[in-house]
Amino acid sequence: MLKPLQDKAVMQSGQSPYEKVLHECLRGELRIVNAGLPQTQKRLSDLLTEEYPQVACNDGSTHLFKKDELKHLASMLDDDEQRALLLPMLIEVGTNQAEANVLALSGYEGKVEEKVITKTLNMPVRCEGGRIRIYRPQLALLRRKFRSTTAYVFSPRMAA
Amino acid sequence: MPELIKVRPTKIELVKLKRRLALAQRVQKIVKDRLSILTLEFLQTARETVEAKKTVLDEFSKLYKGLSIASGYHGYIALEKELIATEADLKIAAGLRNIAGVRIPSFELVNSSKPVKGYSLVDTSSWLDNAVQLSADCLKAIVQLAELQRTFELLAMEINRTKRITNALEYVVIPGLQTTINYLNMKFEERDREEKARLKRVKVLLARG
Repeated sequence: MLKPLQDKAVMQSGQSPYEKVLHECLRGELRIVNAGLPQTQKRLSDLLTEEYPQVACNDGSTHLFKKDELKHLASMLDDDEQRALLLPMLIEVGTNQAEANVLALSGYEGKVEEKVITKTLNMPVRCEGGRIRIYRPQLALLRRKFRSTTAYVFSPRMAA
Repeated sequence: MPELIKVRPTKIELVKLKRRLALAQRVQKIVKDRLSILTLEFLQTARETVEAKKTVLDEFSKLYKGLSIASGYHGYIALEKELIATEADLKIAAGLRNIAGVRIPSFELVNSSKPVKGYSLVDTSSWLDNAVQLSADCLKAIVQLAELQRTFELLAMEINRTKRITNALEYVVIPGLQTTINYLNMKFEERDREEKARLKRVKVLLARG
């Protein structure tokens, strides 16, 4: 027996409207998760001078940074490091449910991000291959301190 | 028992179904990751909301005491007269943040560190200064609570939606695709076996003939 949304003509064409909708929904889910990613990252030193520090996102919205967080970050770093640190810091989520990676994109072999995370978590971390690996409880702590200055990335490479 | 998807039993359909299954599994992985991140954020927000609510209540209780003392010292009429001049528009920088695809509001009081003091410092006491400082703290706490509470609601709604998608994928879509793929595989194997049997029969007939 055919389903309500299936008829013979549709069956001959290959995909029913129901399945097309389902397919679109699934593809939509993939789009949604990374829609809020910023188009570009901005330097901490530049954000500190802006009245309303923000970056544009891929979905057309803007991501507003909290000034308190920016000041807190600035207090941890010297002038050169402030110029190097790119915000928002990206946290890559994928393969292993128990861990996440902070992407070190600021140059200096990730030394700036390393310093920020080391000071925040109060434990040494190492940058390997442009990624700083942290575990879920540490991720919660990091997000608690830096809610607006970090963003999640769902990597298709990792999810595949 | 998952329902079979009605498709023509052809190899092309099998390939299509396998592709669809791969996509569904990939999406399921991402949706599960997203759900775990949303849950983590939700729990954290819940904790912070409770703390923020406590802070608001504490701040209001302090403010009430502060204002009582100030009004007792100055008298209601004098206090009201002084405070009329301090009325100012509240400036809040409002924007959005994104948590795993959920747009979360972000509020921040502009110039929150400097409470408005439009009253005469000569005619008033330090009790009033204290009450004004406490009211500024209260405002800050309210704004923070507003942001957290909205975040809490939005995350809860998104978790519900994501859970429905995960369940649909886990219990309906993927099993349906797998069952159909298995069914088609069995059908093709059956066809192969029939073909072999037919060929054997033909061979026997030819040998006899």
